[in-house]
Amino acid sequence: MNSKPFPAGLRRSFPSLLVLCLLGFVGGAPRLAGAILVEIKDGKGQPVADAVASLTPLDRTPVIKVPDEPAVIVQDNEEFSPVVTVVVVGGKVLIPNRDKVQHHVYSLSPAKRFDIPLYKGEMKEPVVFDRPGVVALGCNIHDWMAAYVVVLATPHFAKSAAAGNAQIGDLPPGRYRLEVWHQRITAPVVREVTVNSDPSTQVISVTLRELRQIRRAPETGGGAYR
Amino acid sequence: MKLLPQSFGAKLLALFMSAVGLTQFATWAFIREFNDTQARELINDELDRTTRNFARVTADRNSLLAAAAATAARDYAVKSLFAGEDDATLATALKSIRISSTAGLVTALSLEGKVRASTLAAAMSDAAYADLVRRAQASPEASARGYGLFGGELYSLVLAPVHAPDIIAWIAVGFRIDDAFARRLKEQTGIDLTFFDPAGRPVATTLAPAVVRDLAAMLPALHEEASSEEAGLAGTTALVRIRRLAAGGDRGGTLALQYSLEEKLAPAAIAQSRQLLVAVGGMIAAILLSLAFARGVTQPIVELVGHTRRITRGDYSIRNRSYRTDELGRLSEAFDQMSLGLSERDRVRDLLDKNVSPEVAAQLLRDGATLGGEEREVTILFADLRGFTTLSEHLPPRELLTLLNRYLDRMSAEIEHHGGVIDKFIGDAIMALFGAPVPQGDAARRAVSAALAMERALVGLNAELAAEGRPPLAIGVGVNTARVVAGNIGSQRRLNYSVIGDGVNVASRLQSLTRTPEYRTNVIVSAATLRAAQTPFPARPLGTVAVKGRAEPVEIFAIGS
Ligand SMILES: [Cu+2]
Repeated sequence: MNSKPFPAGLRRSFPSLLVLCLLGFVGGAPRLAGAILVEIKDGKGQPVADAVASLTPLDRTPVIKVPDEPAVIVQDNEEFSPVVTVVVVGGKVLIPNRDKVQHHVYSLSPAKRFDIPLYKGEMKEPVVFDRPGVVALGCNIHDWMAAYVVVLATPHFAKSAAAGNAQIGDLPPGRYRLEVWHQRITAPVVREVTVNSDPSTQVISVTLRELRQIRRAPETGGGAYR
Repeated sequence: MKLLPQSFGAKLLALFMSAVGLTQFATWAFIREFNDTQARELINDELDRTTRNFARVTADRNSLLAAAAATAARDYAVKSLFAGEDDATLATALKSIRISSTAGLVTALSLEGKVRASTLAAAMSDAAYADLVRRAQASPEASARGYGLFGGELYSLVLAPVHAPDIIAWIAVGFRIDDAFARRLKEQTGIDLTFFDPAGRPVATTLAPAVVRDLAAMLPALHEEASSEEAGLAGTTALVRIRRLAAGGDRGGTLALQYSLEEKLAPAAIAQSRQLLVAVGGMIAAILLSLAFARGVTQPIVELVGHTRRITRGDYSIRNRSYRTDELGRLSEAFDQMSLGLSERDRVRDLLDKNVSPEVAAQLLRDGATLGGEEREVTILFADLRGFTTLSEHLPPRELLTLLNRYLDRMSAEIEHHGGVIDKFIGDAIMALFGAPVPQGDAARRAVSAALAMERALVGLNAELAAEGRPPLAIGVGVNTARVVAGNIGSQRRLNYSVIGDGVNVASRLQSLTRTPEYRTNVIVSAATLRAAQTPFPARPLGTVAVKGRAEPVEIFAIGS
């Protein structure tokens, strides 16, 4: 199912690839832009939300333009929101505290280690994510708080909606490495795809494990004996 | 005969003994079997409880350790160490965790399951945790329990995740399963237990070394699936249960629980020995009772046997005088009646002997008294006291009777001595038979000899009478041999054995002929008698005489002097 369009597309891509190369060589951006709709489903065929699909060009070095405006992950009601944030390498993220209590945000992920000791309100400086990778954010006070910043070395990405669909548009034709990540994915899905002017759809099936984070305890009295 | 009462007692004893013994033994065996089954069931129940208790205690302790470790690992600095690469510092952090959590062992592992640091040098082995990591990875709680054998020490382990906030590493905490832990378990359940490492070496136990050695030797032969198996351990029998310490694959070793069967059966054994005591008491009581009863039965029987012997000897004087009302009492009564009957009969027999001759009495007793008779040759002897009438005039009746009896007694004695039978006394006369009722071949000779002997006996008697100053006696004897009818003569109520016929009259006539002075003899016999006697007696022919009612004259002879 996944592989069927792949070899066909590959075969078809050789002449166009040549044309593209020539075009590129002649000078001038490709006028035709493609789009890929990635449909992400779990093992039971249910749509998977908050998955990140990214396309990394294989034929060229992607041009990354860091947005001026930082992304924002708010801390509200002792939870991060949104849970998944995608930025390009060098991307900035603000993590303001909207709660009355303090938080102590930290990351021990190799891609970005930092911690912001107990604070309230706005941050003075955004956190800059300068290396690609998945950065897991936690709070040292509230163990159940978790958020992810997916730092990508490509501008072509999308986060799946509730219906499991992630639309990546404005794609110059060419070969790409399609990667899909999810916070509960057992192993990242990597696939090579070819983009041409026609929109195409990639259906990705992912295997998710159970959520193994520390759960927020219900607001009751003492903990029951287990 | 003497064995009979003894054997009756023995039989009764055997009966009582077997009845009481069998009942007691059956009860004993039943209770024993019941106790044994009960004890085994109870032991198995307790082994179940201990097995569950062990699992519970281990799980609880692991949970507490895991919770303590998790608390320690949520410290930001510790988390940072787990996230970083400074293994040396991490190792020192583990020491702190071990102390604060009271764990026996703390090990830090990477997310991939590589050991980074441990509080125990022997526990620095990736392989020892591989199974735990794999199971923790697969479990929703991201934790797993198991066992580890490090340097000969068995540890119960729990692997817990280190969150940041995703799982970034693993922390393994454990406690050592040692003698102290084994003793703690025993305090809770009272059951002895031993832990063996996978190689079968004991690592922790509550047992004495000798028992552990036996148990270790037996371990390979025991089955894990059995609820329990009987095993002889250091001289005692125990029920042993084997359980593989499952969580941990082949690394877990074995838990062996044992409960002494003797210990469990001890109260039952006391009860059993008491029951045995009661059984023995019952047996003794049964013996005494049966002996007493047997004696009660055999004693009268022995007495009766003694009485029977005395009756056989002719002593009828014994009376049983039993006051029993049972069958034996009735037997005694019947016996007494029989004894009375026998003595009555004997007296009758005695009287018979005196009234009739013993031969007649014997024949009467043998054939019964019947009328009728038979014709046979009999020699008849008549003896008469001569001059008795004159004598009776001179003597008082009493003295006369004494003298007559004295005379008759002597004469009778001679007749009987020669095989004759006194037929009857007729006043001072005697009628005697030879050859009847018992046939005799030489009856005639006997009769003649008897007549001569009577003559001689009278001489003796006369000498005595002379000495007493009394006048002498004289007799006349007649003997004849003839065919006569012999039989019981008389009425239905009274019978006499006697003979009738012509020959009897002839004998009487010959006796009276002795009074004839010309004959000069006391004994006259007929020719028929002389012929039948076949013996040459000194006989003097006296010619022939006519007998009243008889056609032919009779030829007679004088015998003797
Ligand atoms: Cu917080």
